[in-house]
Amino acid sequence: MDIDIHYGPGNAAARVQLGANERVTAEAGAMIAMSGDMNIETTTHKAGQGGVLKAMRRALAGESFFMNHYTASSRGGDLWLATTLPGDMKVFQLADQKLIVQGGSFVAAPPSIDIDFGWQGFKTALAGEGLFWLHISGTGPLIVNSFGAIYPIAVDGEVIVDSGHIVAFDETLDFSITKAGTSWISSFLGGEGLVCKFTGTGTVWCQSHNPPGFGKALGPMLRPR
Amino acid sequence: MHTVIEGGPTFAHIHVDLAPGERLTAEADAMASMAADIGMQARLNGGFFGALARRFLGGESLFVNDFENATQATRRLTLTQATPGEIRPVALKQDDGGICLQPGAYIASTPGVEIRLRYAGLASFIGREGLFKLHAVGEGTLWYGAYGSLLEQPVDGEYIVDTGHLVAYDPGLQLKVQLAGGVFASFFGGEGLVTRVEGRGTIILQTRSLSGLAGWLNPRL
Repeated sequence: MDIDIHYGPGNAAARVQLGANERVTAEAGAMIAMSGDMNIETTTHKAGQGGVLKAMRRALAGESFFMNHYTASSRGGDLWLATTLPGDMKVFQLADQKLIVQGGSFVAAPPSIDIDFGWQGFKTALAGEGLFWLHISGTGPLIVNSFGAIYPIAVDGEVIVDSGHIVAFDETLDFSITKAGTSWISSFLGGEGLVCKFTGTGTVWCQSHNPPGFGKALGPMLRPR
Repeated sequence: MHTVIEGGPTFAHIHVDLAPGERLTAEADAMASMAADIGMQARLNGGFFGALARRFLGGESLFVNDFENATQATRRLTLTQATPGEIRPVALKQDDGGICLQPGAYIASTPGVEIRLRYAGLASFIGREGLFKLHAVGEGTLWYGAYGSLLEQPVDGEYIVDTGHLVAYDPGLQLKVQLAGGVFASFFGGEGLVTRVEGRGTIILQTRSLSGLAGWLNPRL
């Protein structure tokens, strides 16, 4: 499997070239073009697994996250992936590593990468704004996308990231939902509300722009249907 | 204080390295990430009544955040804006008259900068640009941003600007909101109300406008 990112950082799209019968799992809706003989299967979970419990867990967490599984024919094939908001994409090459990816940032990964929803109802509910987290592990490439540019923060100690700005982070980091600054009142009044605090050693990849923030700026100008 | 703007012009965001004891004020919700031991305190944007006036008449947030590095080492704070676009710093001097900002353009400023509210006139209110305008004065640096890129246009005499595209201007300039052309051209030509800028100075425009995007989307919803 070959992946290259084109047209970043403004309008990034990923071209995934699959070998004969090779397979890749992508977020539903990310495909913009593909070879004519590509096979697609849609599930609520990883292909080839029952996943009833995991699907239930996700239903409990209030998420419906569909995955499309693309399988190339015996001649191989191409797949172009892109996302809705203007922004960049990044490919992580995981080597038996664990990464936690914000649900909206996940684009695609091959079957050698395990995608798990984990149990996150509580933290998700607190963080609000429709956020959920994918636990990614294994060996192979992982494609993520961002609203705006991606900047890494090397955490050694404690770092606060506004929840709408998280793309992914190393599983070695401890993650909690908290207030920004010293007081809860101040955090809410100052418009930051609940933020994510990372503790330990590892990297957080942030996106320069905040999808819910953009929604809040544009939303009031739109007419109700 | 060391600052660098990255991701520009499309996805500009500001990395601010605060030295021990340094402070910075930023628009509510401008913080994207920061070291957890940077102090953050919300404050009414210019006193109780001033904040109310700014919020409801000037179109700004009710609160701003004061960030302070009370630690013994340099700490990083990253600030951004809601829309994808360019961010620019402007260095203000005590006697240079400052800069006027349209609602929503302000992102952050150093402690020596004061944001005042000035009466903008009824015409501005009718043009949905607020009854008051923001006037930044003092000594220090201010960052403002826009949707799209920022372009500078010198004015000597008069100039017409689509109201939604004006971001900032020299305080000496006079602004008047008017119809783009005749009544027919104004409402069917798609320009509606425009701003007539008079005097001598510089205006700063954004190459996109959020109200323009909303106007395009609305009939398609």
